[in-house]
Amino acid sequence: MSRRIRNFLLLAPAGAWFLVMLVLPLAVVIIFSFGERGPAGGYVPAFTLAQYANLPARWAAFRNTMMLAPTGTVAALVIAYPLAYFLAVRVSARWKMTLLVLVIVPFWTSILIRSYAWIFLLGGRGIPALLDLIGISDLRLINTPFAVLVGIVYGYLPLMVFPIYVSLDRLDKRLLEAAADLGARPWAAFVQITLPMSIPGIATGCMLVFILLMGEYLIPALLGGGKVFFVGNALVDLFLQSRNWAFGSAVAATLVIVMLVTVSIYMRLMARLGNGRDDVSLM
Amino acid sequence: MTKDIDYISKQKFMEELYRYKKGSVTRRHFLNVTGLGTASAVLGAAVPLLRAGPAFAGDIGDRVVLATWPNYHDPANFDAFTELTGAAVQVNVFGSNEEMLAKLQAGATGWDVFVPTNYTITTYVGEDLIEPLDTALLPNYDPTAYNPRFAEAGSVDGKLYAVPKDWGTTGYVVNTDHTGGVVMDSWKQFWDMARAEFSGRGMVHDYQLTTIGNALKYFGYSFNSVDTTELADAEKLLIDVKPHLFAISSDYQPSMRSGDAWMSMAWTGDGKQLNTDMPEIVYVLGKEGGEIWSDYYAVPKGAPHREAAYALINFLLDPAVNAKEVLFHGYPTADAHTNALLPESLLNDPILYPAEELLSPLEFGAAVTLTDPNRAELMARFKSA
Amino acid sequence: MTNTPLDDKQDQTQPRVIAELRGVTKRFGTVLAADNLNLSIGEGEFLSFLGPSGCGKTTALRMLAGFEAPTEGDVLLDGAVVNEIEAHRRPVNMVFQHYALFPHMTVAENIGFGLRQMRPRMAKGEISDKVRRALDLVRLPGFEDRRIWEMSGGQQQRVALARAVVNEPKMLLLDEPLAALDRKLRKEMQIELQNIQRSLGITFILVTHDQEEALSMSDRICIMRDGRIVQIGTPQELYDQPISRYVADFVGTSNFFDGTLEAGSGAIAGVKLANGITLGGRPVGAIAAGDPVSLSVRPEQIGLTRKQGGAGALPVTVRNRIFLGEHTEYLVRHETLGEFFVLAPRQSELSEGPFNSGEGLFASWDATAALVLTRK
Ligand SMILES: Nc1ncnc2c1ncn2[C@@H]1O[C@H](COP(=O)(O)OP(=O)(O)OP(=O)(O)O)[C@@H](O)[C@H]1O
Ligand SMILES: [Mg+2]
Repeated sequence: MSRRIRNFLLLAPAGAWFLVMLVLPLAVVIIFSFGERGPAGGYVPAFTLAQYANLPARWAAFRNTMMLAPTGTVAALVIAYPLAYFLAVRVSARWKMTLLVLVIVPFWTSILIRSYAWIFLLGGRGIPALLDLIGISDLRLINTPFAVLVGIVYGYLPLMVFPIYVSLDRLDKRLLEAAADLGARPWAAFVQITLPMSIPGIATGCMLVFILLMGEYLIPALLGGGKVFFVGNALVDLFLQSRNWAFGSAVAATLVIVMLVTVSIYMRLMARLGNGRDDVSLM
Repeated sequence: MTKDIDYISKQKFMEELYRYKKGSVTRRHFLNVTGLGTASAVLGAAVPLLRAGPAFAGDIGDRVVLATWPNYHDPANFDAFTELTGAAVQVNVFGSNEEMLAKLQAGATGWDVFVPTNYTITTYVGEDLIEPLDTALLPNYDPTAYNPRFAEAGSVDGKLYAVPKDWGTTGYVVNTDHTGGVVMDSWKQFWDMARAEFSGRGMVHDYQLTTIGNALKYFGYSFNSVDTTELADAEKLLIDVKPHLFAISSDYQPSMRSGDAWMSMAWTGDGKQLNTDMPEIVYVLGKEGGEIWSDYYAVPKGAPHREAAYALINFLLDPAVNAKEVLFHGYPTADAHTNALLPESLLNDPILYPAEELLSPLEFGAAVTLTDPNRAELMARFKSA
Repeated sequence: MTNTPLDDKQDQTQPRVIAELRGVTKRFGTVLAADNLNLSIGEGEFLSFLGPSGCGKTTALRMLAGFEAPTEGDVLLDGAVVNEIEAHRRPVNMVFQHYALFPHMTVAENIGFGLRQMRPRMAKGEISDKVRRALDLVRLPGFEDRRIWEMSGGQQQRVALARAVVNEPKMLLLDEPLAALDRKLRKEMQIELQNIQRSLGITFILVTHDQEEALSMSDRICIMRDGRIVQIGTPQELYDQPISRYVADFVGTSNFFDGTLEAGSGAIAGVKLANGITLGGRPVGAIAAGDPVSLSVRPEQIGLTRKQGGAGALPVTVRNRIFLGEHTEYLVRHETLGEFFVLAPRQSELSEGPFNSGEGLFASWDATAALVLTRK
């Protein structure tokens, strides 16, 4: 078998998948975005830029998303990094697997059910009731941006923990000994060795969480009480409530573009940070 | 009100989960809010009964497919239907009318019977997705037994497309423990309380039709208004109230039960359930009016088992069968024959069967209300404000 | 300090003790990696640890560097017990067996790492000056901006060396620092290391497998076996006065004839070999009659001649001849004692001419040159 045929056969399944699951839907979205909404909703073929001209009507949703995604990513990173560090560096090999499984276990249940757990915990009879016992009363947690952030950090934690864990676990402990040997205090060794060496994991985790957060709608709807409105929520409303597929497609296409632009800026930034290092892969 | 909904210990979070799991939710529940409704479950894929000859006049086939809302039918009635006709009932449940419409527009649903709400019927007719009903095949349908306002909504241009199933209202629930003796009876009170005494405690639906409609009622405008100046007033009110709201969500039962929310827009079924379990929560219809709605049985164009579809609708309209349905799902019916078979206590229930003077100002939602792009945009501005 | 018999007698002559192991034992679970090590290292000394793989050389080094705490005993630096002092506080630098270079830094950043940790901070210019000089020292001038993965194994090893040396530590611990280098470069680097050590006056502790390296570079060598120190001494002492067959085998090459010690006293003892022959040798250490011993004879101590020699001369046949330049190495065979090596200097060759393969000869040595060593 020639190399060319073999390469084709190897790539064909992924290529087909890519075409069917990514390119075609995206093409449909782009075609729809130049159409019009039918009188009873749905899509009527047309070629108009009216939907794009109407984009400012969802400016607030985009603004909120562009604030939520980085904030949520950073918050997830801040919580996930120490956890990943603990798992990779501090925990003995015997307990590692058990603890790692515990990190994933919540992923086995639907995010909906887990969010309901948080609705209860953050609701009046949950944590605020406990705080009331120690004299902190009238604290509102549920349906606040804070609750949304908690939900996001919780929901996306494993996605952030895993790549960081992997990069920290791969880190040669002898490098830290070498750093200590050369006079680096533990914190200095962390900053100069551990942290830079875990950048691939951080980059991957942030990328995953950031992209998913750009389309997030469920957690804001459930834990934000529907008062916090993101592009994802706008899309759900446009497709499922007002059935304005044309405008919904324009919003979706714009979201994809915003995502691509953000991600490429991010990649370039990472590349500069990595600066030709072969140990730092971007994804 | 219904036997199957049994909140033993309301405080327990697990109950809520359980409730979610068994799908004992009213329609327009969070399934549709969260967009998860699209993953609708096929509940009863039936094994056709192999019986020696159908007991029904004529062979109607081995199955009939019904698209409906969660927990909306007594399964025992379906068993009886199968027993009688040899056709097994396959049930698909949905979270929203929009979703049903989208499915039908996409075509090839395989549905034989579906359950649209009043304001969607004209849309289905306009889109040519629904079949005019042949009343000869529905001997149990007696139009004279219905309050005309229900029967009328099933007809478009004099043609009957849908027959009434059950109906309900949209009002609000309020926890009277917090009202300090004030008796609430209007939408004006609802909106004023929401931004004053009940700041941080009020909820409105994540549904354009009712949230905007009931805001319009504050000014005495029609629930269905699409007039731009009237909508502008409603928007001003909504944006003004928004910072004071506990949530914009159609899943208000958990928050009302936990005490986090004190007041929320509500549909009949939820109002009844909350009031049954927590008598301090009362269901209020605004005296200015508001929404009344009704669900219907209809047959989509190109139903694969058309005969069975008629047989099923006719069977469910049988007053004895329908009475069992009402006892199961807990919504009122407009059929006098059925009501005659229902217990007195149910008929006298002020939530299920409100007084006539409260019902008469209520309006049916109009198709244009639901599809009006300005209302959709207003809702988006409200939610993102 | 309670000196064990193994403790070397040079303690008094050393100017100052810079590091010391006192009864140091290290266990990893059931593995005894270091067993009651006693050792003192003088300032400016070049000491080597020599021993087979897994004998505990790295472990001893790691306890000095501060990566492992002894299970028992004390580690002393400059007279103070440092068991609890972390590695980054010890004035000691290590060249790791596997380099442990920082892959995300350039060569210059790697070498300057230790300098950058210094407080008060060292000026940038001073750091780059020192880095440049260190690179010159390890024969890698101009490699500052190279990435680690762009370097060969030997180059990486030299960067590791430069990274440690540049800090001018009081003591430098080198864990097989030259293992990856080719022979020629290794020789050069050995000389370079010795130069560095002398010019900077740093104490070097070198771990090596390579006896030649240990013999040529060290002031003293510490022979290890199974976590224990077998013998410490100057290269010459170890070569001339090994205390056991193990040491004699490790330091240089030797021919061993196994047997049991015969009764008797005096400078020369008889060893009864397996085949009944008895040969004389100088007994070393505490051995008693009947003990299993080896008679160790260095190849260069053995003389070969065609002429029928004295009473002790052994008839042998030449099996193989290897010309080594200054010397010729012969593998000869005795009927019952088996094969052994003889190293003949060129002079003797000139007098009797080269011996040919298959030729019958007589081998003999001075009984005082043969050592009777314990086989334990
Ligand atoms: N961290 C550890 N855990 C368990 N056993 C260890 C550990 N480190 C070393 N050992 C064991 O201790 C013994 C000595 O190991 P060490 O690394 O000191 O040997 P070495 O003399 O340096 O060998 P080499 O010449 O192969 O480098 C070995 O048996 C080794 O398996
Ligand atoms: Mg080693």
